[in-house]
Amino acid sequence: MCLPGCSGRHYWFSGASEEAQSIETLAWILFAGAGVIWLIVMALAFFAMRSSGRSNTEKSARRMILWGGFAFPTVVLAALLGTGLLTLKSIVAERSDLTLEVEGEQWWWRVGYPGGVVTANEVRLPRGRTAEILLTADDVIHSFWAPALGGKIDMIPGRENRLTLTPTTVGNWGGLCAEYCGGAHAQMRFNVIVMEPDAFDAWLEDEAAPAQPESGPGLEAFLGEGCGACHTIRGTEAQGLVGPDLTHFGARTSLGAGILALDRDTLRHWITHTDTLKPGVKMPAYPDIPTEELEDMIDYLLSLT
Amino acid sequence: MKYPRLISEGSVWIVATIPSIWAGHFLLCYWVAAVWCAKFSGTVPASLTTPRWIIAALTALSLGAIAFLAYRALHSYGGTFSVENEINQNTSHDRKRFLGHVSLLLAALSAIAICFTAAPALVFARCW
Repeated sequence: MCLPGCSGRHYWFSGASEEAQSIETLAWILFAGAGVIWLIVMALAFFAMRSSGRSNTEKSARRMILWGGFAFPTVVLAALLGTGLLTLKSIVAERSDLTLEVEGEQWWWRVGYPGGVVTANEVRLPRGRTAEILLTADDVIHSFWAPALGGKIDMIPGRENRLTLTPTTVGNWGGLCAEYCGGAHAQMRFNVIVMEPDAFDAWLEDEAAPAQPESGPGLEAFLGEGCGACHTIRGTEAQGLVGPDLTHFGARTSLGAGILALDRDTLRHWITHTDTLKPGVKMPAYPDIPTEELEDMIDYLLSLT
Repeated sequence: MKYPRLISEGSVWIVATIPSIWAGHFLLCYWVAAVWCAKFSGTVPASLTTPRWIIAALTALSLGAIAFLAYRALHSYGGTFSVENEINQNTSHDRKRFLGHVSLLLAALSAIAICFTAAPALVFARCW
């Protein structure tokens, strides 16, 4: 079970942000310190087993309690507290270059950028810029965690928590909900895509534009089946807020909150048998949708780049 | 047999009071910072200048009270810091000395814990 976290896009020692690197340094100090203390305790236990009782044993034991049980822990804990506080201060930025709003829902992520841009299940960040992420939840408690970038913060309904990230490595990193939030909790994932700043600016500009194309048989099928009651496609009549915004759906890398690759066959299966891919999902399945209408809808959704 | 009064030499009140000061300090510091940040932070984090002074005052008061009780433990109870002395006689004198000894150790523990509790206020200047 530990192996998935020991390599790849979820590896917690990837050091993909400045904050993750600070926490990694602190983790190594803790591991090394704990190792040294363990060796000392084992050596003392071995020594105690091998030595024969001497007349000053009682006196030595009392001194051992004083130094080993009081003085040493006090100094070590004070040093750890000081280091931990200074590390925490260094990773809580005084200022940020970008503010995002991420809201946890059962079981997906609503991601808001400046300028009213809303996407889902993908957090795009520019490399080298400090992003402040405002975290909240709509229904139950969730927890936002992208292990490679550090930071795991709970998302609590009615409350706004803050996470600061300064990505250092371009890539597609994995994220997940780290607080049990219901049946499909394990299928509540997301991607953190770290881009070069210029590419990010261009992406955000594209994302702010309304959907292209704004009409066609696929959109008619989408609206005809009532999908617009739950989903928004900016620039069209679809303005629902219950489910993910689909304005640039075709440009995303995954489907169903990071659990499936986005391709034609998977999307067809998602629309017709949603519950089999994600048990308990609020979106109803549409198994009876006419084939031609379904294919038009899939064409349309994949064209929304 | 004459029992010691609640607040007098020989009573165990001193043993319970010292960690209670630690607990009270912890609770008040937590309340002050949490209420201040909840009330005065909006989209911009509130400054912690005032809570820092309140926490500093609470810390000074708590350490002062613990120092006073440590003094009582030392002089009125005949307590000692040393862990090498045996206090094991079934006498009123040794009972008092034992209470003084325990109180002094608790005073040291509580004083350190109070400093640890106050440490974040030294480092952070705003609510987030």
